[in-house]
Amino acid sequence: MSINEKIPNVATKPDEAPMTKQAAALAVEAKREDIAVEEGKTVGLPYSDNPKFKLRNVEVFYGEERAIKNISLDIARNEVISFIGPSGCGKSTFLRCLNRMNDSIDICQVKGQLLLDDVDIYHSKRDVVELRARIGMVFQKPNPFPKSIYDNVAYGPRIHGLANRKSDLDEIVENSLRKAGLWNEVKDRLDATATGMSGGQQQRLCIARAIAVSPEVILMDEPCSALDPIATAKVEELIAEMSESYTIVIVTHSMQQAARVSHRTAYFHLGHLVEVNETDKVFTSPEHELTESYITGRFG
Amino acid sequence: MTDQRSQADIVRRSLKKRYRKEKRFRAYGVLAVSIALGALVILFADIIGKGWTGFIKTTITLEVMLDGDSMYLDDPTDADQRAMADFSAPIIAALQKQLPEVLEAGELRQLNRLVGSYGSNDIRDLLRAQPELLNTSQTLTFLASDAVSVYVKHSDNPSYSIRLSEQQQHWVDQLLAKGVIETKFNNVFFTSGDSREPSNAGILGALVGSLLTLIVTLAIAFPVGVAAAIYLEEFAPQNKFTDFIEVNINNLAAVPSIIFGLLGLAVIINTFGMPRSVPVVGGLVLALMTLPTIIISSRAAIKSVPPSIREAAEGIGASKMQVVLHHVLPLAMPGMLTGSIIGMAQALGETAPLLLIGMVAFIVDVPDGFFSAATVLPVQIYLWASSAEQGFIELASAGIMILLTFLISMNALAIWLRKRLERRW
Amino acid sequence: MSNKKDDVYGDHISAKFNDELMELKTQFLNMGGLVESQVEHAIQALVDNDGQLAEQTRLKDKAVDKMEMDLDEEAILVIARRQPTARDLRLVISVIKMVADLERMGDEAKKIAKMAIKLSEEGLAPRGYIEIRHIGKHVLSMLHDALDAFARLDSDQALRIMKEDKQVDEEYQAAARALLTFMMEDARNISRCMMVMWVLRALERIGDHACNIAEHVIFMAKGEDVRHSPMEEAERVVGR
Repeated sequence: MSINEKIPNVATKPDEAPMTKQAAALAVEAKREDIAVEEGKTVGLPYSDNPKFKLRNVEVFYGEERAIKNISLDIARNEVISFIGPSGCGKSTFLRCLNRMNDSIDICQVKGQLLLDDVDIYHSKRDVVELRARIGMVFQKPNPFPKSIYDNVAYGPRIHGLANRKSDLDEIVENSLRKAGLWNEVKDRLDATATGMSGGQQQRLCIARAIAVSPEVILMDEPCSALDPIATAKVEELIAEMSESYTIVIVTHSMQQAARVSHRTAYFHLGHLVEVNETDKVFTSPEHELTESYITGRFG
Repeated sequence: MTDQRSQADIVRRSLKKRYRKEKRFRAYGVLAVSIALGALVILFADIIGKGWTGFIKTTITLEVMLDGDSMYLDDPTDADQRAMADFSAPIIAALQKQLPEVLEAGELRQLNRLVGSYGSNDIRDLLRAQPELLNTSQTLTFLASDAVSVYVKHSDNPSYSIRLSEQQQHWVDQLLAKGVIETKFNNVFFTSGDSREPSNAGILGALVGSLLTLIVTLAIAFPVGVAAAIYLEEFAPQNKFTDFIEVNINNLAAVPSIIFGLLGLAVIINTFGMPRSVPVVGGLVLALMTLPTIIISSRAAIKSVPPSIREAAEGIGASKMQVVLHHVLPLAMPGMLTGSIIGMAQALGETAPLLLIGMVAFIVDVPDGFFSAATVLPVQIYLWASSAEQGFIELASAGIMILLTFLISMNALAIWLRKRLERRW
Repeated sequence: MSNKKDDVYGDHISAKFNDELMELKTQFLNMGGLVESQVEHAIQALVDNDGQLAEQTRLKDKAVDKMEMDLDEEAILVIARRQPTARDLRLVISVIKMVADLERMGDEAKKIAKMAIKLSEEGLAPRGYIEIRHIGKHVLSMLHDALDAFARLDSDQALRIMKEDKQVDEEYQAAARALLTFMMEDARNISRCMMVMWVLRALERIGDHACNIAEHVIFMAKGEDVRHSPMEEAERVVGR
């Protein structure tokens, strides 16, 4: 109903009888439907001179359903880019294409060209394990392994054989925890089980676990949606610090978060990539009508 | 305003009805639980009431003069002499000493009936082991005969018939008063195998048989079940074939157990020529029967591992195998173990399939290996319960108590394991 | 409280947010400094009859306008990015409003500079320089103190500035009356006296804007709006 109050009777003509609220709302909806999203056309600055990811004409199918519709985008080196958009707009799906997390879903099919440093991510000979070692991921819910804090961070280096000696492993663990801003909080209880930590700490542990394998890219799928504001602020600060050494792609439901942490913001709508622009630009004067409506809270 | 008020009235009126309904429903629940509990109490009371005497034996302790002349024996090491000797003579003499008024030969034979038929065997075995005891006087404890035992333990129970003559009853009373006949904890029950004589019958044979059978069952069913569950849950593609397998596993769980017995008889014994009545075959059959339970519970345990853990591992770059071995399996293990223990408990209580593969035979010796003839607890109970001798009634009940103790402790172990290993994530 | 004032905007979890607020504050103070020097130079040019300095001062206004736009944009971005709340919000909103005050001051300084140029061309006004120097000094110190109060978030000092503004108003009226009398005595000097009058008027306006800044400083520090309310109210708020 709030829509009515914000945009009163857009479609009413002076000679018509005053519309009922409902009719006005419908008219507004209809007008939004009319806003054209031209497939494969993204306004703003979707491309970059120095791309880490070069994604061209990406389409994702869930069985018959086309979840991602012809998206082209560059993700620059060491940039923080956030994906925003209403639920079901495909931003998470698109994110999961980047490290092939969709592979385990049988009916999911990815088409188009997805290049990481000019090498095809979806090449049949491409080893997904190697890919994921280069592209870390942090999930919506903090999901530490039910093991000790140390083992959580050491897991990645162990399975990839990154440390031959215990002292090397210790060093990796300490560095990762330091980078995640967690070292001082946990250095005395590395053997304590990770599930006993607070939600925010768990999420930062998950980030530490991801960076322990020294990835080049970190994908974050709504990393703060289960956290309280203070924990969220800490994770965001961490993202800001990490942006110096990693390329970070973050999906978020919180537009404010996108505004706070990212350099560029991409707006997704029903599987289309509607707009990509500098974050400051998106949140002060977005180019596309739909972006404006979404970030101002008029739908979504 | 009036509208709202009348609505509130309607709500208030319906509220009463709702609360009544709720109360009634709760009463049904309490009733149902009480009925179940009551049935359980009655069952246990009956079994314990009947069975506790199974743990008690009646003994006769006598000062026996191992007189070589009366036994027609002068060299206990000579097997021929032993075969001809009358080992009951010293017992009769000793009893006569206790009951001086018995003089007639007929009465003496009656006297002999007080001591169980294994009494003379005891003396023979003693002399064979220690020939030097011939012609010495020894204090020996014999098991009282079944009839005496029934009389001592159940003289006031009308459902038992006393098979002793007035005269014998009188003697037993006298001997009881003198302390010659005593009741003691029945260690025989726990240390020997089956016997034709209730006083000499024990459960150890069946217990060991059950243990051996369960070891075989566990050794086969657990790895196979867990492996099948992991494959079906983690690796198998989703298609018609796996659906078909899934349906059939569920069907298998519902197949009556006797069918598995038939399968064992037809395939394992007749086709593969394995011996009858042995724990290996029993274990194989029970493993087949438990497999679906283990597979289903293991799959449930694997399914209950939160996908976030799996994603976390995959996100770091763990391979499928590493995800399963490092994360899924440890987290699912408590559930798998619980399911397996419950499956084992089910197997422990199973009778029907074992009847068909011949584990129902009368076996006196305690089995000493997977290939020696054996019987199992429930079958032993079945054998005793269907036996004519009165003394077996209490043994059957005592056997049930042992079986129930094992089942309860296995279930308790399952609960403990679950509590112990279960981690929150 | 007073020694912690510098940290008030610097203790967020997000270091970037701290930087942004600090940047906003520093930029505002830079702009304030620029306007301050502009006003100072304009008065000096007028008093010393220095046409060159007046011309320079007039041109400085471009830089002030540019800074105004930069600061506004920065403030808008902070709002868009950070959704500031409470004292952060008060800072950003106050900066947006105070920037307008500073810009007006710059405009007034430009006006004074123009008058200085005219006077240097047309010959000195016969009277009014003492008043201009006096009020100018007073207003300059008010502006300086206002910026200082902003930098230290010092509401006591802000209150003093509000009080001083009353004095400036009185001084202005006194000076205006004196000039009026003079003009009535000698009609030939009216046009040049009017110029002096405009300058005095501009100085008085600058004082008002400094007072506005002081009011915003109180709002930033105490969270209560003391504009358009009696002095007692402001005293009560500051005294809390």
